[in-house]
Amino acid sequence: MTLYIVPLLFITVLLISLLRRKDAYSSFVKGAASAVDLMLNVLPYLLAVMVACEVFRVSGASAAVSGFLSPALEFVGIPGECTELVLLRPLSGAGSLSVLEHIYSTYGTDGLIGRCASVIYGSSETVFYVSAIYFSRSNVKNLRYAIPLALVASFLGNVIGCNLCRII
Amino acid sequence: MSFVWLLIMLASVTVLLFTDPSAALEAMITGANDSVTLALNLVALYGIWLGVFEILESTGVSDKLARVLRPVVRLLFKGESEETEKYISMNISANLLGLGNAATPMGIGAVGSMKPYEKDARKASPNMIMLIVISATSLQLFPSTVIGLRAAAGSADPADFLLPCTAATVSSTVIGVAGVKLMTALTGKFGRRKRRQLVIREKSA
Repeated sequence: MTLYIVPLLFITVLLISLLRRKDAYSSFVKGAASAVDLMLNVLPYLLAVMVACEVFRVSGASAAVSGFLSPALEFVGIPGECTELVLLRPLSGAGSLSVLEHIYSTYGTDGLIGRCASVIYGSSETVFYVSAIYFSRSNVKNLRYAIPLALVASFLGNVIGCNLCRII
Repeated sequence: MSFVWLLIMLASVTVLLFTDPSAALEAMITGANDSVTLALNLVALYGIWLGVFEILESTGVSDKLARVLRPVVRLLFKGESEETEKYISMNISANLLGLGNAATPMGIGAVGSMKPYEKDARKASPNMIMLIVISATSLQLFPSTVIGLRAAAGSADPADFLLPCTAATVSSTVIGVAGVKLMTALTGKFGRRKRRQLVIREKSA
């Protein structure tokens, strides 16, 4: 179904523009120009987050923390094998994707571990990346309780999803 | 954010100092390289989506969409301008469609045009936090990346996790929204009490 969303969206937008006699081309160029500007603002934040994530993974610190946390996650119903995924998912999309692929190739996709991992990856977002990027253009430096709250909410969602995987 | 970053960097580099000192810079360069590659890809992607947004803007469709979603947006975000409401409705619709990359520039626009927090402009206002929490708890209805990966890994039924996944994403968003409302109510109450105490103190002095 998603296959059709993007082409249909474009056709609709272009047709509306044609019917309303607007200059779609110059509008598109104007919008695309702001993307360059935007990315120049965002890149430093992106770099900082991704450097930290890579060091965290390569150093083995993330695996060590995972080993420490996995009994606690087992207790609330998340398979211990998914701990590193739970830990890295809020930090980096690319980093957690490689962990997800590793889980699929080690434990398969259709068992409990594979399904729980799919739920964890599919139902959460890169919290730190979203927070850093959304605020990249404002003067706000203090996000107050935004990140802890987002992390707690995602984690509770993971717990609910994994426990449902055991039933359904 | 700053503290978490410092903690992760410090802990990881300290571990590397003892295990594999040469890997420290290597890992940082890999991460930095990945971010530059990602940024280049994102310029391309955002270029397309911001271009589409600009066309929608010129035809007035974005105003219509904002008008349709206004009741929901007003319920969650109080007292923002029409421009901000427009960004928020575009952000939420893109997220629901699973177009996360189209949602991000709208989110940046929304945060950028929101009113500053009345107590301290350098801190995030409740509306900004609400937007972050909604986006970060992922409203996605159809996680196409995971389905694609499962299919590639030879899954017998790639969409088999959708039901618990939807339950997880909906409940995390509901918990997040409730959390923001709760925190706003709590800080509001404390703020008011503090202000009242100040007034009383001023009067007695």
